[in-house]
Amino acid sequence: MKKQLKELFAFRELLLNLVINELKLRYRNSLLGFLWTILNPLFYLLILAVVFSKIIRFEIENYTIFLFAGLTSWLMIQQTITTATASIVNNQALIRRVYVPKMVFPLSNVIARYIDHLILTAILLIFMVFFKAPFTWRLLLVPVVILMHFFFSLGLSLLAAVADIKIRDVQHIVSIIFQALFYITPIIYSADILPAKYRPLFLANPFYYFVESFRFPVYRGALPPWDIALAAVGLTVLSFGAGFWIFSRKEKYFVFHLS
Amino acid sequence: MEETSIRLSSVGIKFNLNLEKEKRLKSDGLKAIGALLRRRKREFWALRNIDVEIKKGEIFGIIGGNGAGKSTLLKIIAGIFPASEGEAEVRGNIAPLIELGAAFNPELTGAENIFLTGSIYRIPRRVIRENFERIVEFSGLRKFIHIPVKNYSSGMFLRLAFSIVIFFEPDIVLIDEVFSVGDEVFQQKSFEKIISFRERGAAILLVSHDLNLISQICGRVLVLNRGTESFLGPAEDAVAHYHRLITSGEGIDREARAEEGEGVVAAGAGPMADSRRWGTREVEITSVRFVDEKGNIKQAFYPGEYFEARISYVSRLGGRAEGGGGGGGEGEGVGGLVFGVAINTIYKMLIYGPNTLEREVEGEFGKKGIVRFIIPSLPLFEGDYLFSASAYDASLTRAYDHHDMMYHFRVLSRGTREFGCVRIESRWKVESV
Repeated sequence: MKKQLKELFAFRELLLNLVINELKLRYRNSLLGFLWTILNPLFYLLILAVVFSKIIRFEIENYTIFLFAGLTSWLMIQQTITTATASIVNNQALIRRVYVPKMVFPLSNVIARYIDHLILTAILLIFMVFFKAPFTWRLLLVPVVILMHFFFSLGLSLLAAVADIKIRDVQHIVSIIFQALFYITPIIYSADILPAKYRPLFLANPFYYFVESFRFPVYRGALPPWDIALAAVGLTVLSFGAGFWIFSRKEKYFVFHLS
Repeated sequence: MEETSIRLSSVGIKFNLNLEKEKRLKSDGLKAIGALLRRRKREFWALRNIDVEIKKGEIFGIIGGNGAGKSTLLKIIAGIFPASEGEAEVRGNIAPLIELGAAFNPELTGAENIFLTGSIYRIPRRVIRENFERIVEFSGLRKFIHIPVKNYSSGMFLRLAFSIVIFFEPDIVLIDEVFSVGDEVFQQKSFEKIISFRERGAAILLVSHDLNLISQICGRVLVLNRGTESFLGPAEDAVAHYHRLITSGEGIDREARAEEGEGVVAAGAGPMADSRRWGTREVEITSVRFVDEKGNIKQAFYPGEYFEARISYVSRLGGRAEGGGGGGGEGEGVGGLVFGVAINTIYKMLIYGPNTLEREVEGEFGKKGIVRFIIPSLPLFEGDYLFSASAYDASLTRAYDHHDMMYHFRVLSRGTREFGCVRIESRWKVESV
């Protein structure tokens, strides 16, 4: 692991360039440019908020903040992984022709995504002022929770990227899985409004723990229950550990599967 | 005191030919999954037992037929391929002039790509910034440096790529036929620059089909034959050795030979030749061989001699798709089968590229067979030539299997006073007034 980190450090300028290029190129020919990073999730939020607070009425207090917090956590994981899954395959031309540590590709995707997510989180804070959500010292936990999101989604991204090299269908499968998971994760509704018999469904869903860990300090101004927080930490370690280990072991041989 | 720059100890690399099949999982569906389950391991050693030590300040040449493993060896040294056995020790920064411009992002401008490429080769940003003007100057692309490189011509693309690599003072330079970059002035400029690296103590590895160039500038030369060392020594002796090798018809087409009886094989240089090979493989070119009138395999010809290229193929096209050669395409739209060949100079300039659609063809295509491209009297002069073979559908838009410049043959000298590469039928008339 030390060796890999050392090498990544040696290639830090490449990593930086890849992140900058990704952000720069994403909106190069669009009118509103970088603004889309903000507008996109905001419109999504708006649609969901209208549907679920005006049309289908959920009896949840301060629903906009509730939804925004859940959605931010969800996007941190879902957008990151769906983008990074194809990171090795998308860079196959380069990998086949020059030597670089392969981890720079998923890592740069993930970092670029988290820059978006941080902006989104900043907007969430502005919304909190506007919607009079409680500001407490527990918000200090948010950076730590975001860091956990980062390593958790990085780990899964590394695993998905490795799988995608062998079977390219993984990119599509991943995005379908996330579509389904969106509805069984308590984002637009809260976990306690569902009958108790559905509880195991949440408990088996790793994203549940992240959404809750993020939402507790933001929406309720409270610390997340210790069992949920602990599960999130455990999942983070597990995901990052497995992702990093498998990716490092396999990266030498990627070139044989690429064309 | 001489210092070692690269040490290869019994290096070997094997490819798994079945990997090729995995990628087709989605297009073939269930059939492919079945094949995956039943698959037999088909391994193929592209290189074996390579022991070489290259010193600082040495210009080291690598020659050999197609599929001999030259480019694969460079890629092992560059760290792109992991050696399957043995060890490759490399000391210092490598400038791999292999497939130049690969690092470019087509959407970025030339200037942005200079910095991106720099970071790929781990040149500190500061160094690039200091040399930026000189890189732009050397490439001669000042006017275009702020437009996306996707709008560059291929020549401009390569010139920029070359200029970047050349400015970072590497300890090891790997060159795979890059002297085909740009015009002659640019080539000369690049060449002098590379030679200047050696004076600073850099080791230079050169893979080329240009035997004249090799014997002019290389000290020692490694001759590869079917993935193993055939000769290692002074350039002159190596070129002479290689010469004997190819005139005897050895050294090329090893896969096609090794698996001749088996039918379907990946031809030529195997799976690592991917950038030179593309197509749907509905028709697969399984081998390309050069032969004389009696059908003996040959790699070197004299001007005016009988020349024949034998292209073996296997067709998976259904039913009537393999209509007759010449008229195969007419009115059929999709389907049909056309074979084409091309002869290029080693600088990749196309000399001649005929196909079966344009000419009368004797015989019919089948499920499996041989296409013979015959030149009764070879109109080429001394030098090395690259040969392409391809199978397309009748509209020439769908490539079944294209082997781009994957083969090589040589034309020997007959001591003529004519110059150039092609003999054009012509005559002189002199009149005095």
